[in-house]
Amino acid sequence: MAAPVIATVLTLVVGSLLFATLGYDPLVTLQAFFIAPLNSLNGLSEWLLKASPLILIACGLAVGFRANVWNIGAEGQLIVGAIAACGVGLFYPNPESPILLPLMFLAGACGGMAWAAIPAFLRARMNTNEILVTLMLTYIATLLLSWLVHGPWRDPAGFNYPQTALLSAAAMFEPFDYAYRLNASVFITVVAVFLMWLFTDRSFLGYKMSVSGAAPLAARYAGFRESSAVWIGLLAGGAAAGVAGMAEVAGPLGQLSPQISPGYGFAAIIVAFIGRLNAFGIVLGGLLMSLLFLGGEAVQMNLGLSAALTRIFQGILLFFLLAADFFIFYRLRRIPEHA
Amino acid sequence: MINLTRRKFLQYSGAAGAAIGTGGWAGLASAQEPLKVGVVYVSPIADIGWTKQHSLGVDAIKAEFGDKVALTVIDNIFMPQDAERVFRELAASGNQLIFGTSFSHGTPMQKVAPRFPKVAFEHCSGIVHLANLGTFEAKYYEGTFVAGAAGAHMSKSGKIGFIGGFPIPDIVGPANALLLGAQSVNPDITCNAIFLNSWFDPGKEKEAANTLISQGCDVICSMTDTATGVQVAGEGGAWSIGYASDMAKFGSGKQLTAFTLDWSSDYVGAARGVAAGTWKPEARWDGLAGGVVKMAPYNEAIPADVIAKLKQLEADIGSGKVHPYAGELKDQDGNVKVAAGSVLADADIRGMNWFVKGMIGKLG
Repeated sequence: MAAPVIATVLTLVVGSLLFATLGYDPLVTLQAFFIAPLNSLNGLSEWLLKASPLILIACGLAVGFRANVWNIGAEGQLIVGAIAACGVGLFYPNPESPILLPLMFLAGACGGMAWAAIPAFLRARMNTNEILVTLMLTYIATLLLSWLVHGPWRDPAGFNYPQTALLSAAAMFEPFDYAYRLNASVFITVVAVFLMWLFTDRSFLGYKMSVSGAAPLAARYAGFRESSAVWIGLLAGGAAAGVAGMAEVAGPLGQLSPQISPGYGFAAIIVAFIGRLNAFGIVLGGLLMSLLFLGGEAVQMNLGLSAALTRIFQGILLFFLLAADFFIFYRLRRIPEHA
Repeated sequence: MINLTRRKFLQYSGAAGAAIGTGGWAGLASAQEPLKVGVVYVSPIADIGWTKQHSLGVDAIKAEFGDKVALTVIDNIFMPQDAERVFRELAASGNQLIFGTSFSHGTPMQKVAPRFPKVAFEHCSGIVHLANLGTFEAKYYEGTFVAGAAGAHMSKSGKIGFIGGFPIPDIVGPANALLLGAQSVNPDITCNAIFLNSWFDPGKEKEAANTLISQGCDVICSMTDTATGVQVAGEGGAWSIGYASDMAKFGSGKQLTAFTLDWSSDYVGAARGVAAGTWKPEARWDGLAGGVVKMAPYNEAIPADVIAKLKQLEADIGSGKVHPYAGELKDQDGNVKVAAGSVLADADIRGMNWFVKGMIGKLG
């Protein structure tokens, strides 16, 4: 657990140097970056709203990553989940029905899982590379969404702009308070974190998955089937991403447009690794990533720093995280020259 | 053709909002504090392109108000999820006038504006108006009509090419006008159109431009957020037409002209209105006459008499003597969409989702 702490401290130090070099007071900047975004109820609400999908997806992905199942296409699974959920929301016969939201939840999960089932099937049956297949399916999902919003699902009253009609109130999560945007979908993430912890730390199946990730040959010898790890890993990621897509559509978005995700599916991969593929680590990782986004906006608004700085800052943090890992797991040693 | 029954479009005229708006703004006039203005850009400010032209509009506010204005600018905000947070933050931190510069900022602005009834919101390329949300937009099609005429004068193959970001009315309409302008010179000319489904994808745009050149197009107009189309056309020996900014320096001397955008009047107008307490949510939609669309200097290779004709065309469009969408207009299948003697209604221009006869390609 030392690595994240070391990495954070080093990031703060290098970040301060960076700000000082650019002519900004490091303390003021760091305060604006990390404290100011959170010192209001609205700030906290925005923080959780942005972190929630990252954590949710990262939890699903980590189940697979622990078994060396590399689902890179959560972005596509999110999109298909959002499409499925929005489809239910738009076309369910009774738009005021109280079961609409639960149905959309199921549709989102099933949509994400269906999209992840394609690479799972191909990997389990034909040993294709799931990294490539999941990634390529992301592009297909984007085009599917684009086709829907430009074609059959386009809002008939929307001046032909590529977006669907707005969902009805019953098809949206109600915010806790209309002054803020945070809504009940954050509880889905809480449950997902708990389920992920239960699965990875407390279940035999989760143990089998970890073994097949750490030592595939030993796992096979012990009779664990690799294909079940592939299926579980990919479907968990797909379900989580699909539900995250549903929560975006039924939350901040309220409709589909050609682009619906600010890269949550990809950022979640980073979150999963910052969190060491561990449920509580992922929560911290997601909160940190989301704070970096908000902080980047805050310093731009308050101090006029460039938006590129947010990315540099994220890059520095990830770099130190990986480097700290390396130096913890490996020891540098001088090898004397051979006489 | 367009169904205006939805509640949010009832206010399209802005009339409902204007009546409510006028009462509430007088209070700001007496304020001695600097006018606080927030601006949200969709992409980083580059040398050229959409956001650059908006930044020139913001510069115009600065030039006009000097130290009587405090500007807060935030760039690279595209996704609605992020935009809503940023607009809320700008409104909550005391900005009196807030600009959104992309269609994708619309839904977030519509959600935030009602929560801050004292703040004036201005949305570029928006379609929805509220009591404190106005819109401004350019008549791109006036620029493409003139550019198309210039292209037709210079084209030898009788084929022009168009590259668009997305097949939305704001792009489809100008593409049609490009061809209609060309057909006003040479009735047999055709236009091949390709959509990238991205505003910024130089790789795909290069491929598209090369495809158009290999299809025989010798004039290429690219309505994206890069200079790639102009550059590739120039390298391939084709004439080019720039968009948003003057892109002559990228075109190997082959840029015929560019239809550039100058939002200064919109930015300064809104700021003046808020400062004086007279701001109202309007649907401002200007073209060559208002100076929001301006033709970049014409290429010297164009004969002087042709340039004179093009300038006359600019003036005639500005005065309303020539309307780019004057009938008779037929769609790709030959159905008459606008009868001879009439022009396409404004609402139908804003919602144009069909290609005119002579366009080759599909929407989407």
